[in-house]
Amino acid sequence: MTEAKKEGKNEGFEPNIVAFCCNWCSYAGADLAGVSRFQYPPNIRVIRVMCSGRVDPSFIMKALKNGADGVIVTGCHIGDCHYISGNEYTKERFERLHSIIIKQLGVNPKRVRLEWVSASEGKRFAEVITEFTNDIKKLGPFKR
Amino acid sequence: MEGAVLVIGGGIAGIQTSLDLTELGFKVYLVERTPSIGGRMAQLDKTFPTNDCSLCILAPKMVEVFRNPNIELMTYHEVKKITGKPGDFTVTVLKKPRYVDETKCKGCGDCAAKCPKIEAPNPFDMNLGKRKSIYIPFPQAVPPIYLIDPNMCLMLTKGVCGVCKKVCKADAIDYEQKPQDIEIKVGAVVVCTGFDMYGEELSSRWGYQYQNVVNALEYERILCASGPFEGHVLRPSDHEEPEIIAFVQCAGSRDLHENVPYCSSVCCMYTAKESIITKEHSENSKCFVFRHDIRAYGKNFYEFTQRAQEEYGVVYFQTKISTIEEDPDTNDLIIHYEDLKTGEFKDFRANLVVLATPLVPSNGSKELGEILGIELDNYNFYKEKSYFNKLTSSREGIYLCGFCQGPMDIPETVADASGVASQVATLLSPVKYTQVKEKIYEIPEKEVKYDDEPRIGVLVCHCGINIGKYVDVPRVVDYIKTLPNVVQCEANLYSCSSDSQERIKQVILEKNLNRFIVASCTPRTHEALFQETCQEAGLNKYLFEMVNIRDQCSWVHMTEKEAATEKAIDLLRMAVAKARLIKPQKEEKLKIEPSCFIIGGGISGMTAALNIAEQGFKAYLIEKEKKLGGNLNNLNILYPIQEDASIILKEMVEKVERNPNIEIILESKIKDIKGYIGNYDISLQDTNNEIKELKVGTIIVATGAQELKPQGLFQYDEKNKNVITQLELEQRLQNEDKSWLNEIKRVTFILCANARQKEGITYCSNVCCGASIKNIDILKELKNDLEIVALYRDLQMAKKEFEEYYRNRRKDAMFLRYDLDNLPQVNKAKEEQYKISVFDTNLQDTIEFETDLIVLATPMIPADNLKELAMMLKVPLDRTGFFLEAHVKLRPLDFATDGIFLCGCAQWPKNIQDSISQANGAAGRASRFLSAGEITTSGLVAEVNPDKCIGCGKCEDVCPYNAIELIDETKEFEDISIVIKKSSINSALCKGCGTCAATCPVGAIMVKHYDFDQIGAMINTYLLEKVKN
Repeated sequence: MTEAKKEGKNEGFEPNIVAFCCNWCSYAGADLAGVSRFQYPPNIRVIRVMCSGRVDPSFIMKALKNGADGVIVTGCHIGDCHYISGNEYTKERFERLHSIIIKQLGVNPKRVRLEWVSASEGKRFAEVITEFTNDIKKLGPFKR
Repeated sequence: MEGAVLVIGGGIAGIQTSLDLTELGFKVYLVERTPSIGGRMAQLDKTFPTNDCSLCILAPKMVEVFRNPNIELMTYHEVKKITGKPGDFTVTVLKKPRYVDETKCKGCGDCAAKCPKIEAPNPFDMNLGKRKSIYIPFPQAVPPIYLIDPNMCLMLTKGVCGVCKKVCKADAIDYEQKPQDIEIKVGAVVVCTGFDMYGEELSSRWGYQYQNVVNALEYERILCASGPFEGHVLRPSDHEEPEIIAFVQCAGSRDLHENVPYCSSVCCMYTAKESIITKEHSENSKCFVFRHDIRAYGKNFYEFTQRAQEEYGVVYFQTKISTIEEDPDTNDLIIHYEDLKTGEFKDFRANLVVLATPLVPSNGSKELGEILGIELDNYNFYKEKSYFNKLTSSREGIYLCGFCQGPMDIPETVADASGVASQVATLLSPVKYTQVKEKIYEIPEKEVKYDDEPRIGVLVCHCGINIGKYVDVPRVVDYIKTLPNVVQCEANLYSCSSDSQERIKQVILEKNLNRFIVASCTPRTHEALFQETCQEAGLNKYLFEMVNIRDQCSWVHMTEKEAATEKAIDLLRMAVAKARLIKPQKEEKLKIEPSCFIIGGGISGMTAALNIAEQGFKAYLIEKEKKLGGNLNNLNILYPIQEDASIILKEMVEKVERNPNIEIILESKIKDIKGYIGNYDISLQDTNNEIKELKVGTIIVATGAQELKPQGLFQYDEKNKNVITQLELEQRLQNEDKSWLNEIKRVTFILCANARQKEGITYCSNVCCGASIKNIDILKELKNDLEIVALYRDLQMAKKEFEEYYRNRRKDAMFLRYDLDNLPQVNKAKEEQYKISVFDTNLQDTIEFETDLIVLATPMIPADNLKELAMMLKVPLDRTGFFLEAHVKLRPLDFATDGIFLCGCAQWPKNIQDSISQANGAAGRASRFLSAGEITTSGLVAEVNPDKCIGCGKCEDVCPYNAIELIDETKEFEDISIVIKKSSINSALCKGCGTCAATCPVGAIMVKHYDFDQIGAMINTYLLEKVKN
């Protein structure tokens, strides 16, 4: 699963993006983006989990392997986790995964991101998703 | 004593009171005189300041009332007579004839479809729309039972027609129905009769007689997707889209010569909301607000009115209106007004005018007051027992809730509802649980085995136009129908309505479904409703999945229908893939410790503690200071009742100290909070470093707020003894020695000091205007020849008592209005003498004068060290540092985490009256759990597969709830027995976060409903089976 050296064609490219949102903060933030009508690109498909701590690295690998051009994991801000410390393990695990992805698999690290979004940050959710989608568009399709 | 309560009025006040009462162990008779519950809130398009769809958040509660076995819903009934005493009332209720047998009607609507008479205006649409003479008031009406308008029906008026009877397959039509008296016995009565909005009562100068002048409630219906114009902003006269819309504030109010002298309290906010929604509906429209003061004092309120102006380009004029006239050729309106910024008289042409007219006690309040024997105030609101006890009427055993007591918004109403419920619970505590029955699912749960072929039903919601306008719902339905295992897929207008619940049950049973999916709004608000519906149809509630195609799809891709439709299809495909793999789950019961821990010994905390204690539960009241009372200790006289704060405080403290159920813990701080609802372990530390451990069931946060000390602003610093804050003035006034006043001849109050700014503190903190006017009055009484100037921006005097309070005192000072662009300049002239220069926007001139004493009305800010507490409690703070409630409209006193509640200034700056009713409300919310004595835990927990577990203990390390332990397991290998470690999860402690499962190196932990195969199936379906539509 080594990323092709050349970046893919970007024109008219609509990436497939998987987003994991924790139920209490980031999913609520995503809802608030909706309630506030903050618009963002329609490329993401949200999978709701109770805590970002639930996101097993294998989920991310599975998504990348099966055709996702980007994967974003969102959780409560550090200190705000509904489950006290779940997101701290997410962070630790994510950093490990990141280094594996880059060093061993050669995937551009920009394709996998971890962000904290609170329930009151609807605007931020929309901004994070917009930015991530635009970044992935620039990178082009993920050639496996 | 009767364990039942009569609730009169089925708006949000009555709905919330009824729901809370049943949870506190009482049977409720909910009497509503119209054919449906929902009240005014059901008529609103959206709610400020989040612009949440009003019906979307209300409908689940209406449905909950409808399905609650302990609420006897008596719609189209009226109260006729009441006798008896608190604890034992006998009430006669008149059941008005619907001419439809409610036991037979299925709400199918065949009758209305065939009814030939269509002339009747529909009051639900403020008479802008039409209905048949057999009808339900609106599609989501609860109960969904039709009725006949006897004044319109041809059969009942002329004896001809009878079509409805012929077409009704249920044989529900009964032209012979007669009014019927019903007698009920209750222990208490709660009055929640709400408000009406004036229209034709206004004097003709407001122009309501013209077709294109509407009141704000009429405009709500115009804006609403399910309203008479289907959400298109059109003028009533010609159904053309208006370009220029004028919103006129305070039409007919806040003036002794007008209809009502008080402020209706919510108009500034709904006007900002309506103007924003107007701009969202039609970008080319231009909105103008003819304003008086801007009263926006709630959480995110002031910022919301700023957003209307800055982001949406709504133009606010500060004006005084003389008349509104119609141009008969165009039906446009000409507003003649005085521009208060320039003093000029001008004309303004608008295509449509929306009037913020007075909100008054609902029609019939006076008569009902006479029937109930309760007093009314000068404005015909029901009179509260005392200013600080606004939930009790003048007659014992009869309580007041919501707008019938005085102007208030929805969250205040909801908080009052919980407060009333708790007061009733105090009165009737000996008879809790004597008349209630447990929810019984009539249809037994059907067994769904692991290898049963999935039979999936799918419902795709239009949500009015909220989804349907931006997502091609029919195309979604057509596609999903083709997926394997999908037995049934259909669309509907509102999935959350009661008729939809009946439909879901019907489909589950008829098609023998073993999974169900609803694609609509967010599971955060609606999952529980649909889960219960599934359970009612005998389908285990965990066999339900919800897909969010509104908040996270249609609302965020409003200009990309194609892409939004594709996304909706993908999200549904993924949900179907998951649904095939989900399993039924069991729930467990958990005991609740019958006690409450209250953080903060101010007026809110003391009120909450008393309420909990009077219901018979243990209350622990912790205060960090040496004595109880909080900010009340620093106050002098309380407005508008002009009573001495120290007397009120003393009475309250004595009551708290006398109550044997309250344990007061002073000078202590919280070291640690562990546990979960029902079982919190709290450890406290006092000044001697001694540790005290408590075990409690629920927690109430009442940590209050503090006054901002504006260092450096307007010469406020240590050197200038006569530049002080409002609270510092209160303390000087509290003091017997008033000699400091001898030297002072001129006083200047600066309101909104450091508040309502563009940066920093952006909000209004609600109480400073009233406190300033009170203190001006007190100073004037102490020294009559004082020259007092008050520099203000807008005066927040929104309570029914306040306008009059201000009117009687406005001559005490010279009021000069400044604005944010021209802040007053304060310079030191000489020792303790200051020179002030201010640009008065009313006079359009700079005024300079000298003053000896400056009083700064600064905003309230959150108490210190809230972050630390928030982290211990695992609850959030908002942007401004106050605690963030679960939902700004309908859950103002709850945290998202069960078992923890909030009240008073911990939530937002507020006055003592509101703090007290919130505290009662929070106590009510908390005591629901204490009363029940147990809760049912979630079925969504983690489980270990012992065959895979290698006993490494990593899961134990990461579990934040100590729910996992390694236990010894003995394994026999022929003649050798070996003890090995295996992980074990306590499902009562597990919260289902799933961190253990992601940590387990061998994948031995399964998280129910979020398992590897389920999430994996979603990923695979999205990426591998991607379809181009």
